[in-house]
Amino acid sequence: MARPQQELVTFTLDGREVTAPQNMMLADAALEYGDVEIPVFCYEKKLGPPVGACRMCLVEIEGIPKLQAGCSVPVKDGMVVHTNTPRVREAQQAVLEFILINHPLDCPVCDKGGECPLQDKSFGWGDGISRFVDPKRHFEKPLALSPLIAIDRERCILCYRCVRFSQDVSEDYQLILQERGAGTYVATFDGHPYVAPFSGNIIELCPVGALTSRPYRFRARPWDIEQSGSVCTLCPAQCNVSFTVRDERVLRVLQRDHEGVDDGWLCDKGRFAYQAIHVDERVTRPLLRDGGELRPVSWELALDTAAAALKRAGARTGAIVGGETTSEEGWLLQRLMREALGSADLDSRAGGALDLELHRALGAPALQAAVPDLQYADAVLVLDVEPIDDAPVLDLRIRKGVRHGGVRLHVATSRPSALDERAAAAVRFAPGAGGALLCALDAALSRAGDLDGAAAAAGVDPQDVRAVADGLEGDVVILWGERLTHGPGGAEAARALLNVAARLGLAGREGAGLIEIPAGTNGRGLREAGVLPNAGPGLGAAPAEGRDAPAIAAGAAAGELTALYLLHADPLTDLPGRETWGAALEQAATVIAHAGFLTEGVREHATVVFPAESYAEKEGTIVHPDGRIQRLRRAIGRQGDTRGEWSVLAELARRLGTDTGVRAPSMATAKMIAEIPFYAGLSLDEIGARGVRWTERPQAFAFPEAPAGPFGLASPQAAPAANGRLRLGTFRSIWASPEVEASPALKFLHPRQRVELSPADAERLGVAHGARVAVAGDGGSVTGIAHVRAAAPAGTVFLETAIPRDSAAILDGPLVEVWPA
Amino acid sequence: MTDILLLEGIDEPGLATIEGYERRGGYQALRKALRMPQADLVDQLKVSGLRGRGGAGFSMGMKASFLPQGDMQKYVVVNADESEPGTFKDRELMQKNPHQLIEGIVIAAYAVGATKSFIYIRGEYEHQADVLDAAIAEAYARGYLGESVLGSGVTCELHLHRGAGAYICGEETGLLDSLEGKRGNPRLKPPFPANQGLFQGPTLINNVETLSTVPHIVTMGAEEYARIGVQNSSGTKLVSVSGNVRRPGNYEIELGMRSRDIIYGLAGGPPEGRDVKLWFPGGSSSPVLTKDDLDLSYDFDTLAKAGTMLGSGAIIVVDDSNSVVDVCHKLAKFYAHESCGKCTPCREGTSWTVKMVGRIKDGTATPMDLDIMASVQDHIIGNCLCVLGDAMAMPVASMIAKFRGEFEAQIEAARERREQAFLTGVGA
Amino acid sequence: MTIDPSRIARFEHGSRIPGWDDAVDLEKDPAGVPDPASTPVPEDLRAEIEAQMARYPDRRSAAIPALYAVQRRYGWCSPEGVEQAACVMRVTPGYLTAVATFYDMLETRPVGRHALYVCTNISCSLCGADELLAALREEVDGDPDFNLRGFECLGACDIAPMASVNGQYVGPIALDEVPELVAQIRAGEPPLPAKQLERRPSADPKAAVHGGGAA
Repeated sequence: MARPQQELVTFTLDGREVTAPQNMMLADAALEYGDVEIPVFCYEKKLGPPVGACRMCLVEIEGIPKLQAGCSVPVKDGMVVHTNTPRVREAQQAVLEFILINHPLDCPVCDKGGECPLQDKSFGWGDGISRFVDPKRHFEKPLALSPLIAIDRERCILCYRCVRFSQDVSEDYQLILQERGAGTYVATFDGHPYVAPFSGNIIELCPVGALTSRPYRFRARPWDIEQSGSVCTLCPAQCNVSFTVRDERVLRVLQRDHEGVDDGWLCDKGRFAYQAIHVDERVTRPLLRDGGELRPVSWELALDTAAAALKRAGARTGAIVGGETTSEEGWLLQRLMREALGSADLDSRAGGALDLELHRALGAPALQAAVPDLQYADAVLVLDVEPIDDAPVLDLRIRKGVRHGGVRLHVATSRPSALDERAAAAVRFAPGAGGALLCALDAALSRAGDLDGAAAAAGVDPQDVRAVADGLEGDVVILWGERLTHGPGGAEAARALLNVAARLGLAGREGAGLIEIPAGTNGRGLREAGVLPNAGPGLGAAPAEGRDAPAIAAGAAAGELTALYLLHADPLTDLPGRETWGAALEQAATVIAHAGFLTEGVREHATVVFPAESYAEKEGTIVHPDGRIQRLRRAIGRQGDTRGEWSVLAELARRLGTDTGVRAPSMATAKMIAEIPFYAGLSLDEIGARGVRWTERPQAFAFPEAPAGPFGLASPQAAPAANGRLRLGTFRSIWASPEVEASPALKFLHPRQRVELSPADAERLGVAHGARVAVAGDGGSVTGIAHVRAAAPAGTVFLETAIPRDSAAILDGPLVEVWPA
Repeated sequence: MTDILLLEGIDEPGLATIEGYERRGGYQALRKALRMPQADLVDQLKVSGLRGRGGAGFSMGMKASFLPQGDMQKYVVVNADESEPGTFKDRELMQKNPHQLIEGIVIAAYAVGATKSFIYIRGEYEHQADVLDAAIAEAYARGYLGESVLGSGVTCELHLHRGAGAYICGEETGLLDSLEGKRGNPRLKPPFPANQGLFQGPTLINNVETLSTVPHIVTMGAEEYARIGVQNSSGTKLVSVSGNVRRPGNYEIELGMRSRDIIYGLAGGPPEGRDVKLWFPGGSSSPVLTKDDLDLSYDFDTLAKAGTMLGSGAIIVVDDSNSVVDVCHKLAKFYAHESCGKCTPCREGTSWTVKMVGRIKDGTATPMDLDIMASVQDHIIGNCLCVLGDAMAMPVASMIAKFRGEFEAQIEAARERREQAFLTGVGA
Repeated sequence: MTIDPSRIARFEHGSRIPGWDDAVDLEKDPAGVPDPASTPVPEDLRAEIEAQMARYPDRRSAAIPALYAVQRRYGWCSPEGVEQAACVMRVTPGYLTAVATFYDMLETRPVGRHALYVCTNISCSLCGADELLAALREEVDGDPDFNLRGFECLGACDIAPMASVNGQYVGPIALDEVPELVAQIRAGEPPLPAKQLERRPSADPKAAVHGGGAA
């Protein structure tokens, strides 16, 4: 799909000349460039091509005898449009009269009242009188459409936005129209609930009160609330959101359409997990372990205790920083560690350190693609990442690119992807063998090297690799998951990825490049802020190289490190190596945690817990995977006794003798920016409400250079032979997060362990779909419900991680045994 | 001059088989067409003046010429979803002379460069679909269809697709959506099917009768064909006459025949003692005419000038024993039932009209309702996504305009009946 | 005081449409594309649908043929059958349900096995179709084997009033033929053989020029 052209045309709108991009739809052009609203109901640009169904937007165009639908007429040079003639007014009044025939006009008791497009249109374009005297139809209302959405079919005006979203945008095709004509209604198959990762968007799309949010219904009237823009930090996609706030409580999350980030959509986690901000389980006061139990204490005592313990440990402190940490907090933490404690043992990556040179090469601005490139590229390769779980809104963006005909999609993952059905080719490699696959791809692209050997090591057919290689032509965007560079083979995988990028000529190519989906929301920003054992702010060389996450675990378990600082991280649920981490947390004399919820590791092992701000309370910046620095703004006052975490970090540093000079969050931003050469000159004002891609600023040249390959690659190690056992693949579901578990509305989605098997393995092992099974690895065993999937590759079993019970983290791969429980 | 082409010998035993058709000289037009350059064929269609026989009456040659040149996948789609009330001509053509249609399809597909064709037949025509399926198999076996038609290297695949009961699928874009496996909702135009039709490919979509005429045009030559009929309405036309007539059925006429000669001459007129009250000249979607209009020439332009249309060529005669309100009610109910529901004026306007006519019948209407009803029709006409809304609104509006007195009298009579019933009920 | 909706007058006017009052069952799983690993499909049904899919450039074109196949097998487009067809076609069952409910001939509720459609459109009603439908209704009288419906124009106004009897067009049907017709259907005999459309010669006198006439 070609990028929209920017050629301008001039047309006449109600007697005035208006200039707008050619072929823009008249309704859009009139509003954006002519300040004239042509009323619409069915038309919504985000849903794709207009359908012209509601007929509300009829206007007069000179030279065309019939009235035209303004939503579907592209503006042309010299076009003369009238939106306010008696003929147009009559037609618009007529359509409104038709629409209101069966609309109940129960506005006083309607949750949409006051923010309802139908009310607005009726007021602006309606006659105010209906000649319809027959009884309106009435139905039971409201009815549940899902645990999250209520449907009121009386109010539905059949604009079809919701079904078009389900069918044409999220492509889940669960929401359908049944019957026809005036009997048409929105429903699902045989009374199944509409549960899908993006279902909540239909609430916002509905131009009447037919689809309402069950968690929000009747919690507030539009005049009770304020909107406050910020960014969702629940995953790396960092969708722009607007919090609906009433009395210092977040009651709702709405999208804040950003073409460069989210395209105006939110996943249901982003839309509903705000509930976790206001639950009793949340930690809102400092806690101190006292006689084996965490008890609330004063800030003074907590800070004193933490400072004293850190002072004792000194350089024998290790820190793990989670993805929801802002760049400023990360920057302050590395100052606390490096300057106040003299420790370089800090990490924001789960899977072990990567050479600094590789970080620099992979993060180089010339190699970074932007989110919209996913939509306009010639080819997209989804590599060792599952967008629907890891950065949901990007799943929609990729689908959009494919749907509009331009993008050739390739998927290379271990576990079957939701995007497979849209892919020209899907390659399944053995869990953890992403590096081997890239070696094979590199060989296929360079027509040198041992393609067959590398493919065998990855457990894939060389032909499939060749097919992917052949498909990667033109502007290629590779969306890859951080997990690719985890583990012992991580560095080699990174080099192979750089080789592939080099072979494809991605560096400096407009519309092409890499996008890394980090394991944590602000993974990119934290690295750039210096939260790595081997790099300081700006990916500069660290004065001393420290331990990476696995080494911190080992060091603490061995008693070499005596204090652990967990900034929004729980190693037991978030990091690999659960057994070592268990020992480390047990061994450490002091465990200081910033946490919103008492997850297992924090609950069992923390000595001091500082309450974490929720994202609606935070100020600071985070960096989108594509390099866009985005600003978090406070929407509500901090809950309970929560303090700004920047101030906690700065205060601890001060008590340990390092004055960071930070007295306000904006000062942290300014000081951090000053230390990162490629952010130079940035200000919060420049970042503003839409963010700034630093990679596009002239200062990006200051990013440290590094060799970008091609590198010589070692032959990859073969995937382990199964010997009757199954390879273990793991995945983290979109719903596996404490926020989901804590949100009453979303709780039903919080996953329990499901064990995904191929039909062949299931048959061999005597496991039935839906039956309970046990899975055992070297580290332990879990039970779960068998989920037999036709698409699952034989020989591998997939389990969920990051869930409180029966997490795959307990098992230790790479091979496991499965049997009916 | 010939005025029987399509129905000629239609009841001949065995005509539906390939032997029967070949015996009659069938598929010779195809052989001739394959020797002609494609552009010449399209020109011939233009010169013939053949106008679409499905309802819209658009020049078939023009339509064919709108398809882009080039190697892209193009389609011919045959609209055999004959659902316009009063129309049953395609049914007879498909049932009794399927190969005439198939030959027309192959010629048209060759002319526009389409290698895949589909016949979309309404699901209710089960027997006709079976006949066509058999005929298509025969045509494949004889090499009239397939990868290389008669060894010419021209590919023509043809499949029959059965609908499942929805009038709206007779609308060409609704048909295309239905054929693509969706709900049969009409599409926004542009793009027109000639550019983006079936599976987004350029598509020529024509009615059964139109395509069945094509072999005759090729055989006799376009000029010769154009001499049949009158200006702007060349050729013969099948007219389905039904309702209050003594000999209902399909009649092939030369366009330009006097309407009275069709209704009275061919179809025998209303039963003894009855007179024509109103008639639909081109299916139920055409504005009605009265007995004063019986001398109109039956051709596209004359009927258009009279404020109505030739449509599908289905004449429904209503005699003076019937109430115009009942006819109006049936008609509105039909369109309300068949509205796909996609666009507002049609979906709401048709069902509102049904309610209003219903109130006229049950005695709860006032004369003001007639004005509202007329205004509602006015608000439907021209404002819908496709023509279904207009197809109800135009005849309803014409009935109100031409029979207002009778509507008002019925309103009054029904009110009186209702009041009487109420008083009786109170008394009882 | 709680309000019982069923006792409110405005709910009584009969404009309700089946399905409009139905909430979803929150206990069910969402209806995605059925996984072949957990959706058993009868082999012949699968083969029939796959053969249809192969006829079109886009497999979804086989929606109506697939639903017909389900209807033939189960008597109607049952949820179970729709799920099976969806599994074969790799679409959601919702996709097929949206299609099935759009078309008059696809049954989304269980119906009698004898489809008896009586055309009640203008031409037929001018010739007594409403009376015919009433007479048939009386004759059939709730027999669950019959799926008797008034239908929109069936395209056979030349034999008005008429009916489609399991796909066979019959007409004009006189009111006194109704008992015979129903008896024939019940007995599985051809309905009113003399009045079947298939045997009717063309009305146009010119059509018979070459002799022959109807068989």
